[in-house]
Amino acid sequence: MDGAARKGSMMKKILTLALALAFALSAVPDAQAAKSTRVSVTGEIVDTWCYVTEIMYALGTAHHQCAVWCAAGGIPVSVKDKAGNVYVVLKVEGDGTNVANPRILNIQTHKVTVDGDLYERDGVKYLIVTKVANDQGIVNLTHDEYGIQPFGK
Amino acid sequence: MRKIFSFLLLAALLTGTGFAQAAEEWGIDGEKKARFEAKVVDVLCELTGDCPANCGDGKRQLGLLKDDGTLILPVKNFDIFAGANNDLIGFCQKRIVADGLLINNPKMPLFALQFKKLAPDGKWSRADQFGKDWSKANGGKKGSQWFKNDATIKKIISENGVYGIPGLKAKE
Ligand SMILES: [Cu+2]
Repeated sequence: MDGAARKGSMMKKILTLALALAFALSAVPDAQAAKSTRVSVTGEIVDTWCYVTEIMYALGTAHHQCAVWCAAGGIPVSVKDKAGNVYVVLKVEGDGTNVANPRILNIQTHKVTVDGDLYERDGVKYLIVTKVANDQGIVNLTHDEYGIQPFGK
Repeated sequence: MRKIFSFLLLAALLTGTGFAQAAEEWGIDGEKKARFEAKVVDVLCELTGDCPANCGDGKRQLGLLKDDGTLILPVKNFDIFAGANNDLIGFCQKRIVADGLLINNPKMPLFALQFKKLAPDGKWSRADQFGKDWSKANGGKKGSQWFKNDATIKKIISENGVYGIPGLKAKE
């Protein structure tokens, strides 16, 4: 090999290495793009603030009006399953908004089964609902026991 | 010594870095006063890479992304029954100092925003933008009673009743 050829093969090696490195770097998952898991969740649509903090009784018919107030006020809405897991709903079936979203407002307190992508981040379960598989409407009758939360009217 | 002290107090009050913006306790289980710097992000964008302009223009839940990568979810502001979205949308992709209550609940962590300012030296403002915006959009009606006068809410409740089920009455 003469000098020029050696230089050329060296360049080639460096180039290959650089390409390999670039590929390896691009293959490393972006820190921002978290992984999700497919889930099916059955539970009640609830107001995240009242339900989690327990500042009042926040389930079923007794709390329906307040749950509508809070969703209209832009507080995140969640699905609470039987085990008590709280899934913050970020998207419903291709609708890209989630603040006072009309679709979500109109299914407050409903018992639903939803399929979706679950993202867990810093203790919060975020749910992208890809399909509302079943909507039973409001079935949790709590008003006889708890009245109307929070003001009794 | 006393003179120096009262001078410092006065200076603190005048510059607005004193006590006025300190988080207030709400008596919620697991609450802790917190002040931190973070970038305002669209949560859906942060998680999935689906990123419309201006963090979704106020139509998407906003999160507070700290430098260590922790994503905090603000769910409440100072207005009754309202979230923090209207307080934060003006700071989309900007760094703010957030002041309020971190609520460490076993179900999930929450953050209630009480005051905010552009980091590091912006002017503090109270997190009560929802009521102000609602009032402006409703001919100056009082923001504090927004939930009783809101047209969207009135429509839903008049159609389905307070319990959400048309015709359902309380036991006599
Ligand atoms: Cu409530």
